[in-house]
Amino acid sequence: MLLPENPHLRQFLLFVFALIVPCFALWTVAADVLAMPVVGLADMIMQAWFPTVVEGLRFQGSDVVLLTRFGEMDGRPVAAELAEYQLAYRINPAILSYSLPFYATLHFATYKDSYLGSFVTGVLLLYPLILFGLLCLCMKDLMINLGSLFMEQPGVWLPPGSVIALLYQLSVLIVPTLAPIGVWAWQSRETELFSSLLNLEVPADDARSS
Amino acid sequence: MKRFVVVFGVVLVVLFTIEMLNPVQTHVVVPFTSILAKISALLIAPFDDSVIAYGKVLQFQDTGFAVSIEAGCNGVEATIVLIAAVVAFPASWAQRAAAIGLGFLAVQVMNIARIISLFYLGDWDLDIFRWVHLYLWPALIMLDVLVVFILYLRYLSQQHADPTHAAA
Repeated sequence: MLLPENPHLRQFLLFVFALIVPCFALWTVAADVLAMPVVGLADMIMQAWFPTVVEGLRFQGSDVVLLTRFGEMDGRPVAAELAEYQLAYRINPAILSYSLPFYATLHFATYKDSYLGSFVTGVLLLYPLILFGLLCLCMKDLMINLGSLFMEQPGVWLPPGSVIALLYQLSVLIVPTLAPIGVWAWQSRETELFSSLLNLEVPADDARSS
Repeated sequence: MKRFVVVFGVVLVVLFTIEMLNPVQTHVVVPFTSILAKISALLIAPFDDSVIAYGKVLQFQDTGFAVSIEAGCNGVEATIVLIAAVVAFPASWAQRAAAIGLGFLAVQVMNIARIISLFYLGDWDLDIFRWVHLYLWPALIMLDVLVVFILYLRYLSQQHADPTHAAA
């Protein structure tokens, strides 16, 4: 069965494909600045949560470095004072924050009465998820690289290793693409695009042509 | 709406957890990923005989450049999202099964396009490869899932508006 034409859907798809590359290009230029609030918060949380393990999160170029309080001697992690260098792990927050340009693409491709207010709201909804993903990324790196030094800290609550692994995978593979769609769908639920898709107001022409 | 969100979330997390289990990775995901690499090589071969595939690796014989198709690059996660959305939305099980089957094909067609495009992009420029691989293609694949689901919703709404099509 051929589906009747839907001008709202056609317009939406056209704008999505027109906007996706420019939105991602703009985000690439501003990615470091956009990641700063999340990196700053993650830095505070990681230091407060794991004070004996984490020294902090620092920007290094477009990457973020997770500094630990450990060094390495004879291939084994030891206290930083005993080692010649400090253990640090490179983290790329962009693998989480590309949800922002994806959301921007969907948002601005949808015909709405107003754009800016709901866009800011949408971005603010995505930021906590990026922060959560960054925390999962850091914990996964610490778990893999430090092993029991991280997982068996006295007096510190930690999720089990399997949960950290699962949350990391979800945060990296699913959330950055799914969360923008979720936020966009929720914000667009009363638009003509959604009404026509869910048959809330089927245009008379559409009904006849089927 | 609440029911959709709850069922979607539960199905998504359950399927994703199953996918992450070692036996599932070993016996399902890795062999499936190897098949994708072989299909990609088969599609490229008529146009470029310098490409070979072994396991989940595609390689240029002349330059030596190779890509390995890893978890997250095989479209399985995107398919899981589609399955969760289709299962969560009210419809008959026949309609759901058809949507999942066709959706899986749509995702994999797009995914093979992704693999082939990334393979050539990587041989040309690694920085552009990295950008497109890490950020742009994941969004495009999920967009593919969204379009499939939107078309499915349109189909269902059309059936709802004109039930005579149900028998067609």
